[in-house]
Amino acid sequence: MKRKQQLLTLPGVLVLAIFAILPLLIMFVYSFQSDSGAAGVTLENYARFFTKSLYLKLTYRTITSSIAVTAISLAISYPLAYFMAKKFKGMKNILMILVIIPFFTNQLVRVYSWLIFLQDGGVLNKFLQTIGIVSGDLELLFTQKAVVIGLVHAFFPYMVVTIYLALERVDNSLLEASRSLGAGPFTTFRNIVLPLSMPGVVTGIMIVFVPCLGTFVEPRILGGVRGTVIGTVIEDQFFEIFGWNFGAAIAFVLFALVVLSMAGLSHAGRRFENE
Amino acid sequence: MKTTRFTNPIPSLYALLMLAYLYTPILVLMAMGFNESRYNTLPFRFSLKWYGALAQNRVLLKAAGNSLLLALVTAAICVVLATAFVLGAKTLGRRSEALAQNLIMMPMSIPWLILALSMLLLIRFLAMDKSLFFVTAGHVVISLPYAMLALQARIKVLDPALEEMSASLGAGPLTTFRRITLPALAPAIAAGGFLAFMISFDNFAISYFLIPAGTSTLPIEIQSSIKFGFTPEINAISTLIIGISLLCLLAAGLIMRSSLEHMLGRKDT
Repeated sequence: MKRKQQLLTLPGVLVLAIFAILPLLIMFVYSFQSDSGAAGVTLENYARFFTKSLYLKLTYRTITSSIAVTAISLAISYPLAYFMAKKFKGMKNILMILVIIPFFTNQLVRVYSWLIFLQDGGVLNKFLQTIGIVSGDLELLFTQKAVVIGLVHAFFPYMVVTIYLALERVDNSLLEASRSLGAGPFTTFRNIVLPLSMPGVVTGIMIVFVPCLGTFVEPRILGGVRGTVIGTVIEDQFFEIFGWNFGAAIAFVLFALVVLSMAGLSHAGRRFENE
Repeated sequence: MKTTRFTNPIPSLYALLMLAYLYTPILVLMAMGFNESRYNTLPFRFSLKWYGALAQNRVLLKAAGNSLLLALVTAAICVVLATAFVLGAKTLGRRSEALAQNLIMMPMSIPWLILALSMLLLIRFLAMDKSLFFVTAGHVVISLPYAMLALQARIKVLDPALEEMSASLGAGPLTTFRRITLPALAPAIAAGGFLAFMISFDNFAISYFLIPAGTSTLPIEIQSSIKFGFTPEINAISTLIIGISLLCLLAAGLIMRSSLEHMLGRKDT
């Protein structure tokens, strides 16, 4: 009976094994084959990636812009999550729903809405002209800034949710105890609230930083030529240049980056959990 | 004694600012669907012509139909797999349960770009053609973790005594499943199906890499019209999608309030 019931896990596991694990292994094998059609195992794809300054520069840019997006998301999400958990009473459920609703609107539509909003002669441009902040064109679209604005918009609500859930678990009586023992609001925050919310912060960082590394649609739409990142290079290898094996190698470098950052972050997360 | 109630305005102002950041571009986009200008420029002149154009746009409507069908099939497969998995997983040993679980959840932490193109390489490795079978398989892989989230939250609070009682009263395993376990899991199955549906309906990366030539989904059409010049019909259909999503969300929220709250880690208040 128990044996039989254990078998129920099999279909799900098999689907993942066949359509996720096996493809990743194949990608790994392909990354060691030559695009020129020569047989045998070769390191030429990786050699090309790590010796061309262009690719290293793009890797650097992908990482720094993902860090920027994550840092900005954290900076704007934490206060919102804190206010929601500790300051608002009846409003917080409505606010939570309002933060979550955009998850359920098409991601491309949201990126596209920034394209319309930020374009020269668009709504933001006209508004800033009217109040006299800019005189001419905004020249914000098709820059790295536009990509960061769009990506923060796409990802920061996740961070609000994870931090909010962590803060919600912080017992209010702890805060009162701290206050009655004479600690100021800042001391209470630094010594009690912040450490206890760290698991939520780490999960939030993970949930924003990792998908940022792999974006390719948003950088292309909002960043244009200046938005090129690893993701767009990989896409080009598959759709424009047909250098699939080289593309597989770049994808594997990206995959390695993802695994490393996941490992680092979950290590950090476990440390905070134990404290 | 009179107490003066001083409320700090900063939290409310800050929340308003964040909501403005979150919603302004979306609202502008929705407004532009009613603007006459082809290039989304101001001044604003009200017009319904883009909705008229949308009604005529066979390609876009066909793509929307494909997305809907794909998302429904994906959601159906995901809830079956996820339900079977959570029922089986509790009989596994602690270590193999964790292993199987991490495997199912893995696609949540890998960029979809990587999963998509590795599947493209699988198709090439098998010397097969791109097909809807692989698109669906890809959608299932990325949506399954979300369906699992909903079901796991529920199975954790399910009382095992109920099933034992049912068995001790002479019900066979199938009857127990049908009469006890399934009804108890139903809200979570609905919630999980809803999440999987949304993930699939929204997905661009997997479809983009795996879809056979000549077929498309709504996100693919949206992407290509952004790429090849603006069509304000996109504003119109986006507004419709947002409106329909909100209605679904509202309906889903009303139906499955408790299981969503469990997922958010909150108890019923």
